[in-house]
Amino acid sequence: MFFRVMDKDRLPDLVRGLAAEYEVIGPIAKGDEFVFAIVSDPTELRLDYDTTILPPKKHFMPPTESLMSFRVQDSEVVGEELDRTPRVLFGLHPCDINGLMLMDNVFLQGYEDPYYKARRESTLIVGLNCMPHEGCFCKAWGTDEVHWGFDIFLSDLGDRYFVSVRSVEGADLLDRCVETRQITPEDTAEFQRVASEFQASFEGQPDTSQVPLLLDAKYDDPIWEELGSRCLSCGACSMVCPTCYCFDVRDRLEPDGQEGTRERVWDSCLYIDFAEVAHGHNFRASRAARVKNRYYHKQWGYLSKFERVLCVGCGRCASACKADINPRIVIEALQAGGGSL
Amino acid sequence: MARVVVLGLASDFGCQVQMTNMEDHLLDVLGAIELEYWQLAASGHMPEDYDVAIVEGAVTTEEHVELLKRVRETASTVIAIGSCAVTGGIPALALSGDLEDRVGCVYGESGALVACGRILPMPVGAIIDVDYHVVGCPIDPAEFVEVLHRAIQGLRDAVPLEPMCATCKIAENTCFYDRGEVCLGLVTRAGCGTKCISLGRPCTGCRGIAADANFESAKAIVERMGADLDLLLERAQLYNNARKDLS
Repeated sequence: MFFRVMDKDRLPDLVRGLAAEYEVIGPIAKGDEFVFAIVSDPTELRLDYDTTILPPKKHFMPPTESLMSFRVQDSEVVGEELDRTPRVLFGLHPCDINGLMLMDNVFLQGYEDPYYKARRESTLIVGLNCMPHEGCFCKAWGTDEVHWGFDIFLSDLGDRYFVSVRSVEGADLLDRCVETRQITPEDTAEFQRVASEFQASFEGQPDTSQVPLLLDAKYDDPIWEELGSRCLSCGACSMVCPTCYCFDVRDRLEPDGQEGTRERVWDSCLYIDFAEVAHGHNFRASRAARVKNRYYHKQWGYLSKFERVLCVGCGRCASACKADINPRIVIEALQAGGGSL
Repeated sequence: MARVVVLGLASDFGCQVQMTNMEDHLLDVLGAIELEYWQLAASGHMPEDYDVAIVEGAVTTEEHVELLKRVRETASTVIAIGSCAVTGGIPALALSGDLEDRVGCVYGESGALVACGRILPMPVGAIIDVDYHVVGCPIDPAEFVEVLHRAIQGLRDAVPLEPMCATCKIAENTCFYDRGEVCLGLVTRAGCGTKCISLGRPCTGCRGIAADANFESAKAIVERMGADLDLLLERAQLYNNARKDLS
């Protein structure tokens, strides 16, 4: 990794330079909130965003994507296209970059997912530092920092950005698109000061030590029934989660019924039919069983395979869940002895 | 090819109009079936024999009941389309209060003669088994075509069981509850693509209550968020008044 400094007023140069070669996706305003969307003009970019409604996973695994098209009569595949649009995801916070790396474990290890892989390989990541907002608990999981998983990373030093360059592609695009200069000892000192200020700004982070053990100990706790009685089974938490990767595959026919498309759509383990199998047996028919499964998978099952919990503390589920179910509440209630929320 | 009939009970025929609104795909669809009767859009009479019956509208008369029983005996497949047929829809609002009063209110003193054979409104599924459902007020033409194909191919009914919030997140809509406003999407069956909400209007439940809705939790949420519980209950009636469990 090496470092450069870019004056803030050069930012439009960088964005325009990227836009000449890539589809640039960044945080823009939508109502009172923010979303990742195509940036057509650098002035649309809202690098002061706190979080976005959906995480950047939608650009690697869209909510609905075509896997292939087929002919009904003889079941022949007639079309299969991988999305290799050159893209830049601009302004990702550390939690979301960490989230993508957790998705990579699933889609790029062992059985590679060609659709995810094609998009991932065609996409550059430009990270951006942030300050904790109300719902953040990334520090509790250690996902408040990233050291890889990006091509370049911008740290805001007021009038300039401290640019960490991680990849050859990142170095190239910086060279091509924008004027930068060498770092000075003052830049490094200021970078360190901002990093320390960021760390000092976290308040009330949950204690996540021994959470897997706690889950094992509380497997039959009445708290799961109580959470189940609250859950709407709506799946909003899964949609907004940067690490939820479950999907369903469906065939959709064209109106003439001659051809169809096999689509992958986002699924949620909270849906009642998520664990329903042929002949109608449902392994998790109750809401309580489904909520419990969500937490055991995220904080235990994934951990047992990849040595990380499947949560980056972005706080999106906490605002998406109107029933007030989120990792913080669940962990704190279990730590308090369980029994009830 | 499947021989299909389309008939309407108590409704404004808006869903049959939506079928004509398929414009771009209407000929494709007509090429995949043998349309024997379409109450709204074709002249001619209902045939004696057919394979698929598409039924719009709520059941509001004895005649409807008899018709549906005949339909069920004849058709191998029955598809209910639209809120009126699936949930009782707007006609089921007449379940609140006294039906005779309401008939008088609409038809005056001669109501007894005009609205003869009337019964309490109910969805088609209250009288006969329904194999496939196209929900919504009005139906979405694309969804209708999908369900029709499922029916012709013998695939199972695939109405979403979950409520709408996930789709709303995918659309990246700001939640009405974040502004303290009531939205029935917490319990309404998904699948519409959050058309109304994306246009700035809260959900009123035209697709019916999701099979796995948690209405008790929705009420608790409305109270906790300081929104209007009476409004939630009123909205829950608009299209779902035939249900007795939404109070």
